[in-house]
Amino acid sequence: MQLDIDALDRDGALRETTAGVPRETRKDFLVATLGGGAALAALVLAEPGKAQSKADVAILNYALTLEYLQAAFYTEAERRKALRTRLARQTTRVLGSVERAHVSALRDALGAAAVKRPSFDFQGTTEDEDAFIKTAVAFEDLGTAAYKGQAHRLDSPQLLAAAVSIHSVEARHAAWIRYLAGALPASSALDEPKSMAETQRLVASTGFIVATPSTQSQEEPRFTG
Amino acid sequence: MVGLAGVVGLVLALGERGGTTTAAGHPTSLAEALPDDDPLGPPPRPGLAIPRPELLASGIDGVTLWAPVLRALTVRAAPSETARIVARVTATTPERTENIVLVMGPTHGSDRLWVPIRGSGTTGWVPREALGGYEAVDTRLLVDTNALTATLLRADEVVFRARIGVGTADAPTPTGSFYVRNRLTRYRSALYGPVAFGTSARSSLTDWPAGGFVGIHGTNRPDLLPGRVSHGCIRMRNADILELARLMPVGTPLEIT
Repeated sequence: MQLDIDALDRDGALRETTAGVPRETRKDFLVATLGGGAALAALVLAEPGKAQSKADVAILNYALTLEYLQAAFYTEAERRKALRTRLARQTTRVLGSVERAHVSALRDALGAAAVKRPSFDFQGTTEDEDAFIKTAVAFEDLGTAAYKGQAHRLDSPQLLAAAVSIHSVEARHAAWIRYLAGALPASSALDEPKSMAETQRLVASTGFIVATPSTQSQEEPRFTG
Repeated sequence: MVGLAGVVGLVLALGERGGTTTAAGHPTSLAEALPDDDPLGPPPRPGLAIPRPELLASGIDGVTLWAPVLRALTVRAAPSETARIVARVTATTPERTENIVLVMGPTHGSDRLWVPIRGSGTTGWVPREALGGYEAVDTRLLVDTNALTATLLRADEVVFRARIGVGTADAPTPTGSFYVRNRLTRYRSALYGPVAFGTSARSSLTDWPAGGFVGIHGTNRPDLLPGRVSHGCIRMRNADILELARLMPVGTPLEIT
């Protein structure tokens, strides 16, 4: 079993150049969210009187989108009750609670500037233990690499301190889920960071972020009345 | 080679203050190695308030999952390609919204995943790949056709209650377990009030245009409410349907008794 970020690259998009990745609705969405562009108009975080830079807001929204992804993944896996082993269920329960806490913290900090939660389609990976673990390893490695790639770009020392605190928790998650997968929790002396563009491309290649279902309309009702 | 005693000694030395230097000038404690004044000062306080992680309530957390139907599909009596077909489900509703189904339990299968669902007028199994992503709701709408009330629960707490109109004796509102599958606004007809929800419930008037589905909507005749006045639909005053629309997401399970 392949246990790295490449495991997410099921359609081979990773091997394409950025210019070669076809644009689709969901990828446009990713550009708007993972790129942080959707919320740049609002520059003040929720903390009263504490102005933040455009770059900080964009980076926090980028982190928030990744945390939405992870939180939704673990929460759905717990609710679908498809994990066979007790250890997998316990791990999922705890990791889900932590990722939801990260979402809550980032949303509070961003206030009105926070991007909305996307819709997700995990395509059965939350309903099959082998696929779940493989995907979880990739998500945790990706989350850790993504925080590492952006932390140094934060203008605010306080936000940098927070990002580093979350980063180490994500690294613990990565080790934990690797242990669950029967892989070495820490197999290298140095972890490489991932840029926003790399992360965006990897997440897009999974197809896990999808358009919100269209359940509203302005059609004339034809109910029985 | 540094033995265990050496490691223990290093740890102890790092924990002491006011250590000494060796003859070669190497510090023997952390305090000795640091400058008198820390030029960087204390670390900054983290700029995010991270709440205490909260586990989902064990077992059932009051949440129902639903999923959009990606393509027209057949519903089978068991999680197998050869099982009896019990119904067919369209990918769109008569109101041209994406059709949805409720997810009723754990997935089954390994080579191919099968999901137990509730569709309009049916329950059974469908292939996982025929559905989109799961969405979660923590609301339930209870309609009591005897008391003529609609009650919305969120996480088992009552958040809305209104008196309603239901079907006449000739066209009764169907009873059973259904769900809200779409939401219509900005249409012209005052008959349905400002907002209408489509449901998976069908009245006995199956010859009705678009299949005779039951809606939950406002009215231009509030003077008739509460009462048995409709062709099966659940009517409420416009102020009530607007309040319900604020609180009730699509996908909400609907229990009509």
